[in-house]
This record gives sequence, C-alpha cells and structure tokens, in this order.
Amino acid sequence: MNLKVLYGTMKKELMIKYRAYPAHFFVGNTLTGLYTVLGAWMMWKFLFEGNMAQDFSEITGTGDYISYVVVGSLTYLFVVRTCLNVSRSLITELREGTLESLMLAPFKRAEYFLGSMLVQTLTTSAEIIVSLIIAIPFGIDLSRADMGAFLIAFIVSLYAFFGVSMVLGSIMLYTRDTYISQNTLFAFLFLVCGISFPVQYLPEWLRVIAEVIPVTEAVNLIRVTLLSGSGISEQMQSVQYILLLSTAYVVVGFMQMKRCEEIALEKING
Amino acid sequence: MRPFIKALAAEMIKQHKNYFHSKMIYVSLFVWPFLNFITTYYSFKVFDIGKSKIAYITAENMVVYLLLGYMCMSFFRSLVQSAWNFSFERISGTLELIYLSPVNRAAVLLGNAVSSLFESVFVMLIFSLLVIVMKVEVLIIKILPCITVFFIVTAMAVAWGMFLNSLFLFSRDSDFLFTILEEPMEIFSGVKVPTALFPLWAKAISIIFPLTYAIEAVRRVVLTGSSLYEIREFAVIGIGITVVLFALISVIIKRVESHMRITGNITLF
Repeated sequence: MNLKVLYGTMKKELMIKYRAYPAHFFVGNTLTGLYTVLGAWMMWKFLFEGNMAQDFSEITGTGDYISYVVVGSLTYLFVVRTCLNVSRSLITELREGTLESLMLAPFKRAEYFLGSMLVQTLTTSAEIIVSLIIAIPFGIDLSRADMGAFLIAFIVSLYAFFGVSMVLGSIMLYTRDTYISQNTLFAFLFLVCGISFPVQYLPEWLRVIAEVIPVTEAVNLIRVTLLSGSGISEQMQSVQYILLLSTAYVVVGFMQMKRCEEIALEKING
Repeated sequence: MRPFIKALAAEMIKQHKNYFHSKMIYVSLFVWPFLNFITTYYSFKVFDIGKSKIAYITAENMVVYLLLGYMCMSFFRSLVQSAWNFSFERISGTLELIYLSPVNRAAVLLGNAVSSLFESVFVMLIFSLLVIVMKVEVLIIKILPCITVFFIVTAMAVAWGMFLNSLFLFSRDSDFLFTILEEPMEIFSGVKVPTALFPLWAKAISIIFPLTYAIEAVRRVVLTGSSLYEIREFAVIGIGITVVLFALISVIIKRVESHMRITGNITLF
C-alpha cells in the first residue's frame, strides 16, 4: 500500500504549523486546556463552593463535577481541533491558491484527509495530556479509568469526529466560509452534546437532535470508560451506535466533498 | 483633522460593507451569543443555585445576572473579532497598500474598531430587550447612571478594540493573542463568577481586563440601582483605562512602522 499522499500531507501540515504559526502552535495549544479546567473550577469552587444540584448526581451517577466537566471539555477540544484541521483543509487550499495544483496532482482524498486528521490527533493529544496534568491539582479523579476501554473509545470517537468534520468541510467549501459555519457548529455542539452538563437538562426536541450527532455518544463513551471504569464489553451497544452513525456522516461527507470540490473549482476566480 | 475624519469614515464604511455583505453576519450577531448564553444557563443548573455566595444570584434573577454578563462580553468580543478580521488585511495584501498611502494609521484602526461598534450596540439592544421581557421586576434602573455607564463602557470597548488591532499589526501569527486575551477575558472578567469572590491571584488578573469594570458597573446600575455618585470610582477607572490604551496605541503604531521599515516585508511576517 502506497501511503505517499498521507505522509506528504502530514509532513506539510506539521511544517505549516510550527514554521508559519509557531506562537499559536506552542502557546495557544497549551493554554486552551488550562482555561477549560480553570473556568469550570472557578464556578464550582468560588461561586457554589462545590454544592451540586441533587439531580446532577442522579443523572450522571457521580457527584464529581470537576472530573465530569474536564473530561467533557477535553473531548470537545478534540472535536473542535479535528473540525478546524480536517474541515478547513480544502478551503484553506482554495484561499492560498493551491487547490488547483492539488487537484491536478494524483490526489487521494481519503489519504489527504487522514493525513490532516493524524497531525491534528498528534498535536491535540499532546495538548490533552498537558491539560490532564494541569487538571490533577484541580481535583480530577481518574483512579477508576479503564485504559484499555478508553483507548478503544478514543479511536471510535476519532472516527465520529472525522465524520462530523467531513460534513462540515463540504459545507465550508460550498459556502466558502469557515468563520460562521465552524463557530455556529461549535457553539451548537457545546450546547447539545452534554459537554458541561447532562443532556437530560435540555428540552426533548434538542435531545432528539443531540442523539443524531455522534459526538454526544462519543463524549458519553469516553466519560464512562475514564470515570466509572466501565469495560468496553459493557459499552458495545454505544460503540456500534457511534460506528454506524459516523459511517453515515463519513459517506455523506465524502460524497458532498467531491461535489463541492467541483463547484469550488468552477467558481475559483469568483 | 479633515484627512483624519475622511480616513476614519472611509475605513468604517469599508469594514461595515465587509461585515454586512452577507446576511450570515446576523448569525454571529444573534445566534452565537444566544447559543452561548443558553449553554451557560444550563451549565449553572448543575449547581445548587440556592447556595450561591452572592446575594443577588438567586434562581429568579440568575437569568438576568447571566444576560448582563453576556451582554457586556458580546460588546467587547465583537471588538476583539474586529481585530481578528483586521489580520485579513495582511493575508489579502491590503495592509501594504494602507501603509504605502499617507493615511493616518490611528484613523484606520479607529475606523475598524468603530465599525464593529455598530454591531455591538445592536447586540446590546437585543440583550437589553431580552432582560426587560424576561425579568423586568428584578431591575432597579436609574436613567442617568445607566447612560453614563453606557458611554464609558463604549469608550473603553473602542479603545480595547483599537489596542488589539494595533497588536495585530505586528505579526500574522497573532492568533495566539486570542488565546491569551479572549478566553481569560471570559473567565476572569466576572461574566459567570463575580470578581468579588475571586482569590487575590485571580483578582490580580481580572484588573487587566477593561471588561471587568464594565460588567461590574452595568450590574450595579441595573440590578442594585446605583447612583452616579456610587459609580464615580468606575467612571474614573473607565476614563483612565481609555486614556492609557490610547497612549499605548500611539506608541505601538510608531513601533510597528519602524519595525516594518527595518524588515521591509509586511506580507509574510
């Protein structure tokens, strides 16, 4: 199997990151994790002094808000980074004037997007590790984590995020907009996917929408494997659901992306 | 003075057209603050609100408390975004043209910041209407202090926007400025947790952000009916911050220009 496009894309993406945007690459990525933890901790500690609503522990099965919110937020960080890297890849090529050359080259879409995704996974993983270390003094409790189950949950979740980012990417390429589409999607995902509070708090119709977004179940899966030590065999239903739903997203995303590439090339000069 | 005003007006019109050329701008104006606000509202529901340490945060007026915080933050944030949009001048190559022309640099920066003010005021209006519709009974408003606070907050926000714009002139790798300025602004300015509850180290960070004073003043005039005399401290601090920021801006503009003259390249770095 020739993976030249995959390696080429990875090399290019990494070089762009640390050569053109070094300050953002090193400073930005590390600080984002710190802010996530700090924001939640300050609300919990200073405003409410650790007093949780009674239904929180009934719904989530834990009274440990800090662990709940840190794991949720860091998973969300992964979603955002994947979308930023993978979804924006082609529109960035269009903006930088390299889309035409890319299309002329023997360009394998799957390898190209996977390359972008792998670079993002590497950098975000480093970011998450830093954030988890930062979260320890704030009281995150991972003593019951099942690391084997977590690794499987993590890989399944990456597939889910990849699916979402492919759909978003085609929308970006079609509308030639990244700013509005990405930020609206991020704000919406943060609201409905159970990142900082259980989805049970939401009205019924929003919960229905949340269920058809693979991120919601992925966040749940990562949380149970890390916080309640649930084995992957107990979560098979959840894993299957994510895989099925994400495959639908990937198929739709790839089909749309190909169509949008053609439209983008036709309209390349306006 | 006339060339300054001409440049200011031209930049305002240009940026306004830039932002409002598509109806999508209304998504960022209304949908984002609304989604953020709803999310925060639900995030608060996981806590036992009855046990909050601040007397004016109760289950009844929590919505107003949060709305006021978000209203101020949206006001400032749109100016931070304007600075980010300004960085596109570099990508598009128009920053070079601006610097080749004899235009007053401060007028360009001010025009860019003020054009965002239009949308900020729009957002503020919508949020205010929401507050009034949802909980008019918890509001204790005196008109004169309210208007005074509005004008000082506006001046602070414009100065803050211009200051960020000037920082973005230095390098194209300024995205990290967002990371060190935007998110901490939300955490440390008292949008969710009042700064009065902060420990010393957090208070020390909060005093850097003009938004801290803006939120506190707005909450005081809207939720506790503070008089002009009671907000005099805020007025002095607000005007002081605005003056300091304008002084910094003029220094930065000069330094950027001399830096560019040395490197001779503003498109790439």
